[in-house]
Amino acid sequence: MPATTTPTPVEVFESGDAALRVVATSANSEANWSTVHALAEWLEAAGADGVHGAVPTYDSLLVEFDPGVTSARQVRAFVLLGMRQLDFIGAPVRAPREFSVPVVYGGEYGPDLERVAEHQQLPVEEIIALHTAKSYVIRCLGAPAGSPMMDGPDFPIPVPRLKDPRLSVPAGAVAVAGRQAVIAPAMAPGGWCVIGQTPLAVLDAGSEPLVPYVPGDLLRFRQIQPEEFAHYAGRKLEAAR
Amino acid sequence: MSGSLIILQPGNSVVTDLGRFRGPRFGLPVNGALDQFSARAANILAGNDDNAPLLEVTALDFRLKATTDILIAVTGAPLHLTVGGRECQQWEPVSVRAGETVALRQITGGLRAYLAVHGSVEAPVLLGSCAPDTVVGFGLRLAEGTELKTSRTVAPIRQPYFDLPLFRLGLTRPEFSSQAVVEVTDGPDVEEFGDTADLLYTTEYTVSARSNHIGLRLGGALPERQSGAEVLSRGVPVGAIEVPSREELLVLHRGRGVTAGYPVLAVVTSRSLDVLAQARPGHTITFRRTTVPDATAKYRAALRELENLRSTVSTVFALLGIGSQPGWQQLAPAAGT
Repeated sequence: MPATTTPTPVEVFESGDAALRVVATSANSEANWSTVHALAEWLEAAGADGVHGAVPTYDSLLVEFDPGVTSARQVRAFVLLGMRQLDFIGAPVRAPREFSVPVVYGGEYGPDLERVAEHQQLPVEEIIALHTAKSYVIRCLGAPAGSPMMDGPDFPIPVPRLKDPRLSVPAGAVAVAGRQAVIAPAMAPGGWCVIGQTPLAVLDAGSEPLVPYVPGDLLRFRQIQPEEFAHYAGRKLEAAR
Repeated sequence: MSGSLIILQPGNSVVTDLGRFRGPRFGLPVNGALDQFSARAANILAGNDDNAPLLEVTALDFRLKATTDILIAVTGAPLHLTVGGRECQQWEPVSVRAGETVALRQITGGLRAYLAVHGSVEAPVLLGSCAPDTVVGFGLRLAEGTELKTSRTVAPIRQPYFDLPLFRLGLTRPEFSSQAVVEVTDGPDVEEFGDTADLLYTTEYTVSARSNHIGLRLGGALPERQSGAEVLSRGVPVGAIEVPSREELLVLHRGRGVTAGYPVLAVVTSRSLDVLAQARPGHTITFRRTTVPDATAKYRAALRELENLRSTVSTVFALLGIGSQPGWQQLAPAAGT
């Protein structure tokens, strides 16, 4: 028998005529996270006509559907059926893989590093030390293009988003915001504070499912020097174990 | 027999379909034709499946040359359509002879036109869709000289009465206006905006030139969030209205990033997303509040209209011997004859 956890209660909110937002409402954020991911997998596996898919993040899940085929009311019933199933069988827990990500911090690679250090009232070295101090759980795949969204480093205070988001952040940008951390798999606009960049290729648009990790996998950053960037450039991100 | 066409003047055009519906769970936007009604109508008028690859032409003039006989339909924003120099109607199937040039000029009133070819065009596919994704760099962006293959040719349709439109298929064309009304339902986070949420319904907004397929940026009086707490990233629907800065309202469209950390004030209905797809910079937009059941009913009414169009088109096509259903002429002789 695979390991399971008990799902938490959820609430379902309207989110337009083609989506619902499902929010896990317990005080335990870890349990909320496993619940919404288990529910997403259940919805995916069960399948229902007109339901396009589910996007689970931290404590919530966006379920998208075709209102020409089904309706918010029917999809809500489908979601609640899924929750009853999970209550009965438990939410499965999967063994994580681990990824190691080399990062050049600061300078042109991490234009916001000093600003973040100033805001945290810590030296730059301490920011890097905190960022590389532990493995992060990949909580979900986000924008753009399957970004690994992680619980951020143990900074003293949340990192504010940029007042004016950048129109373009390069692929491999390593960024923080609030209490979250992320790598940008592809060039895109962004409002997060970019503190470094990895030379590894995170995204492979020629393969499915585009990125090598799934929610629940572990990722750890390690510092490399700017002169090492070229050595790693273009290599694919692969699981260390 | 397969046909082909060659792009002479690409303007700003792509090959797309209704979208990458499996994308969002991998962190990819759904993308696809921004004006879904016009895209579906173009495909139906060309005798294709709704979701067949077709051309989306945005804002700029566009020309192609048919190297074989083909049948096309052009929908979307009003424009000046000519085939071999002859003026032709939008929202109708149009016969194009080998060697003739199809020109879409002076897109006005709206922003995006759709050109479907009977038998569709070939395009690469990612996660079940040919829709371009600018973020991962996927998709077929058309350039001068690009050759597109179609799976079928269609002999020119003989027109028995000169100067009469060949088809009168009775579709109500969408209205295109520089003062659009867009219907929305309350977003899941509407309460975070307190009384200022009402500004959304009393303000006339202006479409900014920074708008694109990811989202429209609108200038005008902005509802304000009453708390400043950071929000955990979460999935946001296409059509979500956010207030990410003090300058503009952001209305997410089909190219939107799947997750975001801003509260969702309201969500544009599926029908009204088509209206937004045609809004040009400088156009004004007012929002009207509706309910999910009403929005669903309107969406389904539009789908019914497209179904009616499909049945009319297939009847006409069957009479003319066009279409995926083989005509009696093409059937193999019965055994023994």
